[in-house]
Amino acid sequence: MDILNVDYEKYKLKNGLEVILHKDDNLPLIAVNIWYKVGSANEQKGKTGMAHLFEHMMFQGSENVPKEMHFRYIQEAGGSLNGSTSFDRTNYYEKLPSNFLELALWLESDRMCFLLPALTQEKLDNQKDVVINERLERYDNQPYGLAWEIIVSNLYPAGHPYSWPTIGYVEDISSFTLEDVHSFFKKYYSPSNASLVVAGNFVESFAREKIVEYFENIPDLVRNEKINHVKVELKESKNLIREENVQLERIYFTWPTELLYGKDDAALDILADILSGSKNSRLYKNLVHEKEIAQDVSAFQFSGNAGGHFMIIATAKKGIPLEKIKDEIFMELKKIKTEGVSQHELKKTKNGSKSNFIFSLQDLDTMANQLNFYNNILGEPNSFNFDLNRYNEITNDKIVEVTGKYFDKPFIELKIIPKK
Amino acid sequence: MIKRNEKPPHSETLKFHLPQIDTFNLENGLEVFFVQKKTLPFLYMNLVVDAGSKYDPQGKKGLANLFARMADEGAAEYDSLALSDEFDIIGANFSINCNQDSIYVSLQVLQEEFERGLELFTKVILDPHLHQIDFDREKRKVSTRIMQIQDDADEIANQVFEYKIFGNLNPYAFPTIGYEKDVDIISINDIREYYKNNLMPEHSFLVVVGDYAADKLRQVLNNGFIKWKRSSISAADLSFKTSLAPGLYFVNKKDSVQSELRTGLISFKRNEYDYYARSILNTIFGGQFSSRINLNLRENKGFTYGAFSRFIYFKSSAYFYISTSVGIENTAVSINEIINEIEKIRSGITKEELEFAKSSLIRKFPANFESHRQIAANIIGQVIHSLPDNYFEKYIDEINNVTMERINKAAEDNLNPDNLITIVVGDTSKLKEQLKQFHPKVLHELDIHGNEIGELQF
Repeated sequence: MDILNVDYEKYKLKNGLEVILHKDDNLPLIAVNIWYKVGSANEQKGKTGMAHLFEHMMFQGSENVPKEMHFRYIQEAGGSLNGSTSFDRTNYYEKLPSNFLELALWLESDRMCFLLPALTQEKLDNQKDVVINERLERYDNQPYGLAWEIIVSNLYPAGHPYSWPTIGYVEDISSFTLEDVHSFFKKYYSPSNASLVVAGNFVESFAREKIVEYFENIPDLVRNEKINHVKVELKESKNLIREENVQLERIYFTWPTELLYGKDDAALDILADILSGSKNSRLYKNLVHEKEIAQDVSAFQFSGNAGGHFMIIATAKKGIPLEKIKDEIFMELKKIKTEGVSQHELKKTKNGSKSNFIFSLQDLDTMANQLNFYNNILGEPNSFNFDLNRYNEITNDKIVEVTGKYFDKPFIELKIIPKK
Repeated sequence: MIKRNEKPPHSETLKFHLPQIDTFNLENGLEVFFVQKKTLPFLYMNLVVDAGSKYDPQGKKGLANLFARMADEGAAEYDSLALSDEFDIIGANFSINCNQDSIYVSLQVLQEEFERGLELFTKVILDPHLHQIDFDREKRKVSTRIMQIQDDADEIANQVFEYKIFGNLNPYAFPTIGYEKDVDIISINDIREYYKNNLMPEHSFLVVVGDYAADKLRQVLNNGFIKWKRSSISAADLSFKTSLAPGLYFVNKKDSVQSELRTGLISFKRNEYDYYARSILNTIFGGQFSSRINLNLRENKGFTYGAFSRFIYFKSSAYFYISTSVGIENTAVSINEIINEIEKIRSGITKEELEFAKSSLIRKFPANFESHRQIAANIIGQVIHSLPDNYFEKYIDEINNVTMERINKAAEDNLNPDNLITIVVGDTSKLKEQLKQFHPKVLHELDIHGNEIGELQF
């Protein structure tokens, strides 16, 4: 489809910063989006949560931007802003009226170059408290909120970069010093480890000129670090049980699978959709709609640069044994392995993907982030059609193949059950 | 050359053109608001029916939601699963949602499949099955979901807060999902009656945003909804009395590792008090990251991941509230800080704050019209709150004209600390020591529905 063929300009500054410009004149808005190639996968055991805490420190002002003013300048200009950290990367983004492009470039370049002179113990202590509260609010105090970290720490071998949660453990977060923040910055936060997307309604010559002025003099410090990771294989299945303050039992199955954009990645996405993506999907129909033994069920393929896994999660209705749900889930997987899926199921999934690609283009922030994502993973920002085609090419044979390949192997089983 | 040590200048503001809203009525009277947006080849539509949970009768709380949950469990020639499949095969997103005011039936679909999507949409509106077997299943799902609320401190806090804020004479006091014992006695006949008495064109309006020719849209909508007849049934007459019950309320959630806090008070409706002044007031107080409340509790004290405030406007009632969750040990001090901030803002805002808030709201205005959904949501708000036709045209001038005096008056009229209700959901056994400082105030203990079960004793 033509609409998914996105125009852009890409070039590199002398210091190694990659720049991608994408014009869209529909509204008087611009989006600025920076990816740094660092995430929690770059951390060490015992020092977890640094990448995410660091993201917080990036909003605490820099040499020319007093504390609280980073947010204030952007909001005063009518903009919105945020950042996020994952296993593989950290991103920072803002959306502003077009005429404030220079403001965003100034703020982003100032913290890329001059963060450390503005860093204080007081700011660090404050953000450590904030992040610990974030952890409490989003994980510890949520029903079933610790499932992910229990699973990844059991699935990935000790020391594997995905074996701890991105938010980090409280004792690690509490232990970080100013020196830790300094060395993290010097190691990862420099131009050749980043890429900058400017999307929206701007004058190209002006944007190019200002990007050079704000970014090109930032010295490059990074020596490239390659993340070492081993192929994840479980020797045998593990059964984990945890008691929590919840009403209903929930079961999680996790199989090690494929890396991001690996050859089975798209087929596993489609399989997940066929299993649980709609009311008439295999597992939803069986467990929730017909037998009513589960309140909800979901399946998804998670994939990153250093690992991937497939999860199926179901919450049992009151009084229904989890074993019964387990039997049905494995029966459905076996059925797909032996009988395959229908053309109708494949078509549903593919049509849904196509629509969702198009729906997602309406938001400039999403668009800018997607260009950065494709550029970082595939080296080509305009990969929307390529990405969609990955799904379109999947056949029944491929679904059968991946089902046989991954789901007969050992897996992690976690049960979260009500406290007695 | 650039100067690093000062904020750069901005260039001239680009002109923003408000989306043009085309309004017309279908032959059955249904009012349609259409915004033609040609940027991408898809459409979003939302049918808003004045049939939210505020109409739930006493003893049958949860009726509107249960209707919404099962309205698309089969329609015309399709059973529940087949209907869902028909939407999926054209790559459409279809959903039915319910809040206190309305039921919202929405569809997002590619332009090339719009007519098929509309056909399915109208089958749901005109010819839903409402079968016993589907009803029983959806009801069990809802009952289980209600049971799960007790796991979630955040949900408990929201539910209890609205109950206490409105008081049990006001239909907005009750959770849309209902109560377990009420849902238990709702029957399929109640659902069928609800459909018959509430789903009608004169209680509804339709918003469509997307790439489609206006005259053709009118034609396909008329064809689609032709059998949806008007009826003479008028909406139930509701009374929105509120009862004031200021105070400190606690819900015990054993083993919580944080305390969920809500503090607020009843306010004036959207269109009955100076909205623009309240909007600026809230921007300064808690409406964005660098607000007083967030800078205090997060960026200064580190008590929380975030704190915010908001005016919530329903069609016939409104309230103002502050929401945050804090570490257990900081519960009492956070309550005091929130109350101090309320008292402080009543003694006035600064000129800098006023300029900041105006600048933020005015410059953000175009970004409120970015996605199809946002445009539709703006129109829906305009209709529900009976705002003037030129509301969006005049918005920027109205914000610009707000004076310091109007904001200070709004703070005085809207944020009376004597009327505050505070809800704490947390592990009360771990809170006792710090709560002693509130003595001799009464610390009421509530169940998860907001019913008083006693007083905390020390």
